[in-house]
Amino acid sequence: MSQGSDTTNQSVNGKVYPSAEAALHDLRDGSAILVGGFAGSGVPETLLNAVLSLGIGNLTCICQGAAPAPSGSPDAVGVDRLIAAGLVRKLVAPLPFLPAQGLNGEATAAESSWKSGQLEIEVAPQGILAERLRAGGAGLGGVFLPSAGRATTQDGGETRTISGRTYAFHAPLKADFAMVKAAAADTVGNLIYRGSQRNWNPVMAMAGQVTVVEADQILEIGGLDPEMVITPGIFVNRVVPSL
Amino acid sequence: MPQRIDVQGQARRVAREFAAGSVVALGPGIPGLVPLVVPSDAPLQFLADSGALGYGCEDANLTPGPDQLVVDSSGRAAFLRVGGTFLSTVDLAAMVRTGQVAAAVLQPASVTSAGDFIHWTTYATPGLAAVGSAVDLASAAGRVVAMMPHVGPDGAPTIVDIAPFQPDVARCVDLIVTDAAVIRVGTSGLVLEELAPGWRTDDVLAITGAPLSVAPSLKEMDLGPPFWRPVSKVYSSGLEAVQDIPDGSVVNIDGFAGPGGMSHYLMVALRDHGARELTIISNTAGLAQVINFGTPPGKRAIDHSILVDNHQVKKAIASYPVSPSASRPTSFELAYQGGQVELEVVPQGTLAERIRAGGAGVRAFFTPTAAGTLLAEGKETTVIDGKEYVLEEALRADFCLIRGHKADTMGNVVYHGTSRNFNPIMATSARVTVVEVDEIVQPGELDPEAIVTPGVYIDRIVVRPPDFSPYF
Repeated sequence: MSQGSDTTNQSVNGKVYPSAEAALHDLRDGSAILVGGFAGSGVPETLLNAVLSLGIGNLTCICQGAAPAPSGSPDAVGVDRLIAAGLVRKLVAPLPFLPAQGLNGEATAAESSWKSGQLEIEVAPQGILAERLRAGGAGLGGVFLPSAGRATTQDGGETRTISGRTYAFHAPLKADFAMVKAAAADTVGNLIYRGSQRNWNPVMAMAGQVTVVEADQILEIGGLDPEMVITPGIFVNRVVPSL
Repeated sequence: MPQRIDVQGQARRVAREFAAGSVVALGPGIPGLVPLVVPSDAPLQFLADSGALGYGCEDANLTPGPDQLVVDSSGRAAFLRVGGTFLSTVDLAAMVRTGQVAAAVLQPASVTSAGDFIHWTTYATPGLAAVGSAVDLASAAGRVVAMMPHVGPDGAPTIVDIAPFQPDVARCVDLIVTDAAVIRVGTSGLVLEELAPGWRTDDVLAITGAPLSVAPSLKEMDLGPPFWRPVSKVYSSGLEAVQDIPDGSVVNIDGFAGPGGMSHYLMVALRDHGARELTIISNTAGLAQVINFGTPPGKRAIDHSILVDNHQVKKAIASYPVSPSASRPTSFELAYQGGQVELEVVPQGTLAERIRAGGAGVRAFFTPTAAGTLLAEGKETTVIDGKEYVLEEALRADFCLIRGHKADTMGNVVYHGTSRNFNPIMATSARVTVVEVDEIVQPGELDPEAIVTPGVYIDRIVVRPPDFSPYF
């Protein structure tokens, strides 16, 4: 399916859907999802809440990690809440959880689920995961990156020496859905971000088969300065308002 | 045991390690306190794992609100200093991998005699190296400074002789700054270079789990406030900005086709400078003169042809090096037919991707473009899910000449319309990048959200004179 031609589009206003639940109507048990956000900043909380309420499970979740949001707000929804609800089968992340010794001895949902064997974890250094997603989003068949520490080849790639330096092959990474948080979207899905909320969101928007965006503001076409647009609407399939 | 210095003192000592003009990445934990001791007008830019570039921190204990615009590597509330901007995670990774980060300050759980880096999560869960971007930084930053307490929370030394298990990154730490000493990782072990006030060598040895040799220059840690001289990237003329380009250089020269987005002023400067045997990486190899693109009658457009006509070009790596009209060949075409220049033709998307790879530390990549064609001859291919891909290698240049609309004096650049084209990726993919702009403004005058090329990638800035004409 090509990006932007959403055959199941129920929207009446461009790509805008009435609710997060409606925009995730075809999320299936066992789907792989990309979730934007870094340390509570730029997390698509409305979409994650919808996943919780839909109760769709067995998910593979690719994101920065499942540490609880540092904002201290009990209402903040992160991937940790999906794990606590038993909806996640596998987590692919640079920092899957902060081990208990760093959080005053209290294990997070991710750590306990991993230790009890209910959650599979694949660790990917942040830069390598970002480049794998970018390769997926840019239509590449994979990239050779400089070897970096013991975690470098955890995704199973070959290594080869080019001009005296060792490089490891990394396969492109895409997922069934990308869940993205934007500051503002227009009705065709052009996006801008705010501050460090940008983080994973632009690259994940490129790498989702279906990219669903929640935005604080939804504007008519022309409402965004073209020079400011970070993610062109061609990468975006569905837009919902952030709640 | 003498009193340990506080973490602010440790931060002041760490800050003295950075050269003016540096980008310094600060990992999670106590490295995030370094901005507290550095004046906001210091010519340094701090980079967080969140993608905040040029951030500051006023209060390490401030809790970020739900609408916090800037967070540091630990998720602490931060703010953007004047001239800062925001990177996506993928642009952050590219910046780190290409060595643009002069120093990374990280808080390992321990460091070995060989400078091996062990992340604290590795101690907690040895089966799981959950390291965030610490591995990216420890592998690729110019220098790695380990900032940590000399003794861990369990009372054990954080500096050990041999790693208890496989380190996250081997032999990467250059300097260790603790609350008791400064220790350099030398080629044959650790060297004690500085002592905290009131500390003696034996005091440090007693809490260190690895052998230390003592530097002949052993001294007390300087905990005073650091100071940097301002740096300037602004050059007075195009010629001044290109006059050190030697013969035989590889030069990125931007531009799509016509007059927009082409660094005409710098191209003229390069012609006047006269460097020869150049390899130019460019979308066209000079097309504007034959297509005109609105050139006034009796005039010719400035493009790469002025370098070809001046016999300065040895080779072009380009996607569209010939005229669309056989009866009006380009200068490059004529030189090629005359055997005076070499040519490597690369499809536009592959050219962009190869340049981007050069600027992102990607050594090579598989692309489906041109598989099964003449352009793939002699190249490695592979089949993935039934589709054929060609292996293409990264391109990097010695120098890069680009055209921006505005730059601030730190080198942050915004573009105008389709003149953006190849400029942003070319800027990242050269050793020295020179930008020609219509206007230079003060840091803070460009909207941080609108900055396309961070100043990190820009070495020299020149103003295109208001009376300069792209025609001759």
